[in-house]
Amino acid sequence: MFHVEHETDAVRVLVLPGWQGSGPEHWQSRWQVLHGYERVEQHDWQQPRRGDWLARLEETVIDSDRPLLLVAHSLGCVLVAAWARFSRHSHKVRGALLVAPGDVEQPGLAPALPGWAPILRDPLPFASLLVASRDDPYCSFERAAGLAQDWGSRLVDAGARGHLNAESGLGDWPEGHALLQSLLAGAV
Amino acid sequence: MAKIFCVANQKGGVGKTTTTVNLAAGLARIGQRVLLVDLDPQGNATMGSGVDKRALKLSVYDVLLGEAGVADASVAAEACGYRVLGANRELAGAEVELVGLEQREQRLKQALAEIAADYDFVLIDCPPSLSLLTLNGLCAANGVIVPMQCEYFALEGVSDLVNTIKQVRANLNRELRIIGLLRVMFDARTMLQKQVSDQLFEHFGDDVFQTVIPRNVRLAEAPSYGLPGVVFDPSARGSKAFVEFAREMVERIQGM
Repeated sequence: MFHVEHETDAVRVLVLPGWQGSGPEHWQSRWQVLHGYERVEQHDWQQPRRGDWLARLEETVIDSDRPLLLVAHSLGCVLVAAWARFSRHSHKVRGALLVAPGDVEQPGLAPALPGWAPILRDPLPFASLLVASRDDPYCSFERAAGLAQDWGSRLVDAGARGHLNAESGLGDWPEGHALLQSLLAGAV
Repeated sequence: MAKIFCVANQKGGVGKTTTTVNLAAGLARIGQRVLLVDLDPQGNATMGSGVDKRALKLSVYDVLLGEAGVADASVAAEACGYRVLGANRELAGAEVELVGLEQREQRLKQALAEIAADYDFVLIDCPPSLSLLTLNGLCAANGVIVPMQCEYFALEGVSDLVNTIKQVRANLNRELRIIGLLRVMFDARTMLQKQVSDQLFEHFGDDVFQTVIPRNVRLAEAPSYGLPGVVFDPSARGSKAFVEFAREMVERIQGM
């Protein structure tokens, strides 16, 4: 039902989970199964190091001979912003779907994720959509809106859906995939 | 002022990290003030010095990015008698983050200049690939120590490194030179090793260190205990050889 259109078949979709990875019920994992998207596997999901994650993403992008679309959740969004700030290969990315960015600057998260704060806020050099929830415990809607503004992302209000993860009961999250397709179609 | 040496070989698995940690421990044992800099994201020299790379609050990554000084980011390797500027996988990110910066190959050199008076020796454990990290090591160094096994293709690995050093000397660090080639994991009973060793002397003459590090099971075991062999079992043949090598190093750099 949500297959990538033929004219965009050349685009490779990379899935970037957040801290501790995304389990089988997470919409990111479901999209991988349904649509054949690829996960950027990090060396360590439990104790993430920004430099390590950044280098892994960079290697994946450099190795790709196709244009890319990034699908990031939580800490993965913060990773995309940091990577885009430094990489010389960001031109390979057509767009990014950024879902429920993790606010690594909030006191509850910062000690567990050393090296991730401050969040880099340079404008992203590619089209992006930022989907934020009204009751996300890891990032207030106002903070997410501020990130969207700085990154130059179009903000999408998902309503009260928690952290937009497996616990949010999103299933295959067709609404999210429709947003990804709009990015693929260049409609953002 | 500290003399700064890279331990490097573009061939992997030649005992580079073993050489770095044991030379550091050997030098400390004869009273030298030593800083070990781990420039390999695998962090083996850090762990091999008894420092938990996962627990590092600051590392060489922070130093290269200019977010910490060496004095603050280094930690004491308590059992070993030297200090460690450690590394973990975070360091891989420096390859990406440094690319856009001015004088990106000189970041380590600039940082080490601040602590040069505090040490006699700085030993840098380089990754085997020729990366921006390795270039930072080679730019910071007075010289290169090349550990090598006396095996069939050993000379090819060394010639790659010699070419790299020539390029760095021409473009980035005029002072850089090979301090010496160290024969490691040496088994004198093997005819091939003796032949390669003789070839080394023909090609490199006095640049080959007199000290030979023998193949030694205690040196091989020591990393699993998170210690250099010199500390883990000082009486082992390999450990004694490294202390001897430390003395030879001190002699060799007289007048440098």
